[in-house]
Amino acid sequence: MSYGLALIYGVLKIINLANAGFLMLGAYVTWWLFTSFNIHPLLAPLAIVPVFFVVGWGLERVLVRRVLHAEPIISLLLLFGVWLVVQSLAYVIWTGDSRSIETAFIEATVNLGGIQLALPRIYVFAMGILVLVALQLFLTRTYLGRAIRATAQDRDAARLVGVDVDRVMGIAFGIGIALAGLGGSLLSLLFSFTPDFGHALSLKSFCIVVLGGLDSIVGVAFGSIVLSLAEAFGVRYMPASLQNLISFVVLVVVLVALPKGIVGTLRAMRRG
Amino acid sequence: MAETAAEATETILSGRALTKRFGGLVAVNDVDVDVQRGEILGLIGPNGAGKSTLFRLIAGIMPPTSGTVSFLGRGITGRPAHDVCVAGVVATHQIVRPFREMSVLENVMVGAFFGRRPRPHGVPAAREAALEALALCALETRANSPARALNLSGQKRLEIARALATRPQVLLLDEVLAGLNPTETDRTLELVREIRDRGVTIVMVEHNLRAVRGLCSRIVVLVEGRKIVEGDPDAVLNDERVVTAYLGATHA
Amino acid sequence: MASRAIAAAVVAAAAVAFPFAAPHAEYAIDVLFLIFLYGAMATAWNYIGGFAGQVSFGHAAFLGIGAYTTMIMIQSNISLWIAVPVSALLPGLYSLLIGIPAFRLRGPYFSIATIGIGEATRLIALNLNSLTGGASGLTLASAPPKVVLYFAALALCAASIAIAAWIKSSRFGYALAAVRQDPDAAETLGVATTVTKTQALFLSACVLGVAGSVYALYYQFISPDSVFGFSTAISFVIMPIIGGIGTISGPLIGAVVYTFVREQLTALLANFSNADLLAFGLLLIAIVVFEPRGILGIVDMLRRRMRAKPPDAVADG
Repeated sequence: MSYGLALIYGVLKIINLANAGFLMLGAYVTWWLFTSFNIHPLLAPLAIVPVFFVVGWGLERVLVRRVLHAEPIISLLLLFGVWLVVQSLAYVIWTGDSRSIETAFIEATVNLGGIQLALPRIYVFAMGILVLVALQLFLTRTYLGRAIRATAQDRDAARLVGVDVDRVMGIAFGIGIALAGLGGSLLSLLFSFTPDFGHALSLKSFCIVVLGGLDSIVGVAFGSIVLSLAEAFGVRYMPASLQNLISFVVLVVVLVALPKGIVGTLRAMRRG
Repeated sequence: MAETAAEATETILSGRALTKRFGGLVAVNDVDVDVQRGEILGLIGPNGAGKSTLFRLIAGIMPPTSGTVSFLGRGITGRPAHDVCVAGVVATHQIVRPFREMSVLENVMVGAFFGRRPRPHGVPAAREAALEALALCALETRANSPARALNLSGQKRLEIARALATRPQVLLLDEVLAGLNPTETDRTLELVREIRDRGVTIVMVEHNLRAVRGLCSRIVVLVEGRKIVEGDPDAVLNDERVVTAYLGATHA
Repeated sequence: MASRAIAAAVVAAAAVAFPFAAPHAEYAIDVLFLIFLYGAMATAWNYIGGFAGQVSFGHAAFLGIGAYTTMIMIQSNISLWIAVPVSALLPGLYSLLIGIPAFRLRGPYFSIATIGIGEATRLIALNLNSLTGGASGLTLASAPPKVVLYFAALALCAASIAIAAWIKSSRFGYALAAVRQDPDAAETLGVATTVTKTQALFLSACVLGVAGSVYALYYQFISPDSVFGFSTAISFVIMPIIGGIGTISGPLIGAVVYTFVREQLTALLANFSNADLLAFGLLLIAIVVFEPRGILGIVDMLRRRMRAKPPDAVADG
């Protein structure tokens, strides 16, 4: 999900708070498909990704486009409004009760060299890597991917070299939202959720992006690893409710010590 | 020539061994530059020579990778831009950056309020100081217009007025003539002369060589990040190396 | 300008007279109290959010610290005369602390970081059980009468607005505007941008601290969710946006709308606990897309349109 955030920010220079909302929606839709139609949660992404892509694309066309010329804080506020709407709709439709998905898959474990590993975790981890790699390839090897990156760096210059900036923006936004939905769907396999779901994750996601530096997907992966390690470490010594605090503390420390994020600083050191 | 010993030419701003690297690219390579009080120093060179980068280094906008900058004998290398301004060195921007939601007068008042001390006390005093700067730049009639309503020439003069309001000892101008028609160019040159006559030392990065020849007392030439020549405008502009750098080797 | 001053005076006079004119209209006093308290807080938020352009989603932290400080001190039998100033100062000091990392971030990044700060503060309050009573919160056995607190809120609101007016026309106000519009250009002109932002945040935090104090005394009960909650935090953003971000009276206007809408929604749709989230989310989107300057922006636009109309009686020819 952090990748989605990094992508949207990178391309549109917009911090998409609504991502958290769509993450949460991803989880709920998966649940809904499962309980109402008996669709196995592993298959849910097949429906979620395209639908969310369209939603994201539509959002960009109808709303985001209008505020692109204004200060970035305006688009932040717009997407914040979208998040509020999405969250309240979720409350209305599904109430604030905690939901979770239960199938055989969720309970399954695998025995690797004597250690019991939860199958869903392995699956989610693998999917995460897969998406990361696919995204990286997309951004670097395809025309569309490079068009997106060009637009991210300089919208006007991209226009001058023939990139259809309007189309690219819509697509990038769509991808970002689709990734959020996918992330939510995957996470629904691991956790129970309420409409507040996206909240803490959004913060962590932001921390990851700052940790890893915004420019690269690799940076985001790196940031994720650092954060996960910090959290795993912290959980041993702190009460569970403070867990979310860890990501925040890490963020503060990094910001004070290394304003460019870890990856940014490493890069600068390599250059200097 | 001997009489000039009486007028001490004082080095007011100087850079030593200034180098700036961006990744693998060396934009400015071990450059020494001295600015004498009261002069108009021109900084020229073909595109990509590193003029703007050097400009930013001595203006304190960007820290050098190595080397030092000092003003009136005190080091200012790496100091935040607002400190540099309060010390007495101010720079204008190549692409004008007016405060878009303020009026012309308000823009200049920011400079008046926060520049070199002693600062005007209170809003009316700042307004007075700002109007003076505007008058010098022929903008006093537009004082209450929104800054974004001015045309390019007006905005460039606003940029200068705003910088002047900070009461600088050294004014750094970044391609202040770019994009101006001949009439506007002449007016700006006059303005620069007037500013110098009021005791402000000026450093200009410029592409317009004709203007530079007429205006500057000394010129420094940068090519590919290195200083290749400096001195009297006529001598420098006729120097073979400079001609080659601008027009290509076949033209010597 | 004169008409505005007269209007303000009339409103102020009415507000002062109200409790005397209708001493038993408890519900009305409750609502007005809320309006003035929110108005004070939204106006203070505007110092850093509107004037300086740094949108903070974490201001509830300051409210909460002020509220808890007062509660704890009163429970320890410390006089109000000491508790209130300390409740103003502590959030201010906290703001200095968080400003150090937070102001390294620009624009939207800063805003997201403030979400984290608000959340983190709430979690800390939730977990310091011995001091804060954890999730069950703290209660106050006795407090000054509500009417007194009504006037306190009114006074705070007036003070908050007075500070805003002073800022707008002072040297500090010019610095804030410059930092908001172009921080890099401001730096080159001698404006110490980080110091400026820190000062605005400090001022803002102190006012919110006092507001927290008043809040605690009025409701005699506080809990992490009530004062540190996310919905409280976002209300500080929504109110100025509705009324007119960056203006002097906008936040108060926004506070009126906000309180009114919330009261109506709770009355009409008792089951929809999140109806206000939905309503304000939609309102936020609408404002941001159509008129980012809020109600005062709409008023301004209408005024300009009317001025631009040609006079009716134009000589022919």
